[in-house]
Amino acid sequence: MLHAKIIDVTKEKIEISNAEKFIASSKCGASIYFVGTVRDLNNDKKVKGITYDSHDALVIKSFEEIYKEAETKFKFENIAVFIEHVKGHVKLGNTSIIIAVACKHRAQAYEFSRYIIEEIKKRSPIWKKEHYENKDSEWLKGNPIKSS
Amino acid sequence: MKIKLELFGASRDFSNKDYLEFNLKEKSSIKDLRKQILNFIENNFKGNDNYKKLVQSSAFCSEENNIVSDDYKITKEQNIGIIPPIGGG
Repeated sequence: MLHAKIIDVTKEKIEISNAEKFIASSKCGASIYFVGTVRDLNNDKKVKGITYDSHDALVIKSFEEIYKEAETKFKFENIAVFIEHVKGHVKLGNTSIIIAVACKHRAQAYEFSRYIIEEIKKRSPIWKKEHYENKDSEWLKGNPIKSS
Repeated sequence: MKIKLELFGASRDFSNKDYLEFNLKEKSSIKDLRKQILNFIENNFKGNDNYKKLVQSSAFCSEENNIVSDDYKITKEQNIGIIPPIGGG
């Protein structure tokens, strides 16, 4: 069971309570919440916020593919996965991504959650423009996507 | 044939709008579109090296939301997304 969504911060908030509601199940004994936030320092530059850009349709497609691959790879039963990523400007300390995973056992939840975030980093078309305290800003260099 | 190139990530610096428009010949490919974008950079940004590298390292996305190769034939007027190297999450 998967919930995948891009949150436009100009229209709504990303909230962990939504993840809690989605993954709640008496069939699962372990829940993991991964929360990504805007950090204050990158490459010795003081960061005050990040603007996230997203190709929404491709991002959702990548979340669905990653979830299906993980299901096939791990073959765990009764999994619930909640993935939301923001687009727009996010201030220092605020949330950019939530990945919540509920499984029968803790080892499964850790494994599934880790797989999802690592694959998102490699494959989901999301871009970051960092804004610094000295008022400069720059798009971060990333990894090229290859056609299949 | 008019192509609307949707801009994402660092390629948004190419325009104040969130897209660029190009006229391509019939049976053009992504390779041809990439050349036209590089010409656009040459003419509008004095051949800015960083922008050219960005175009060369970008992938492209069809209207059907598929990442397509340089050989992909553009057979109709459509929106194509430029997908610069990614690094979100």
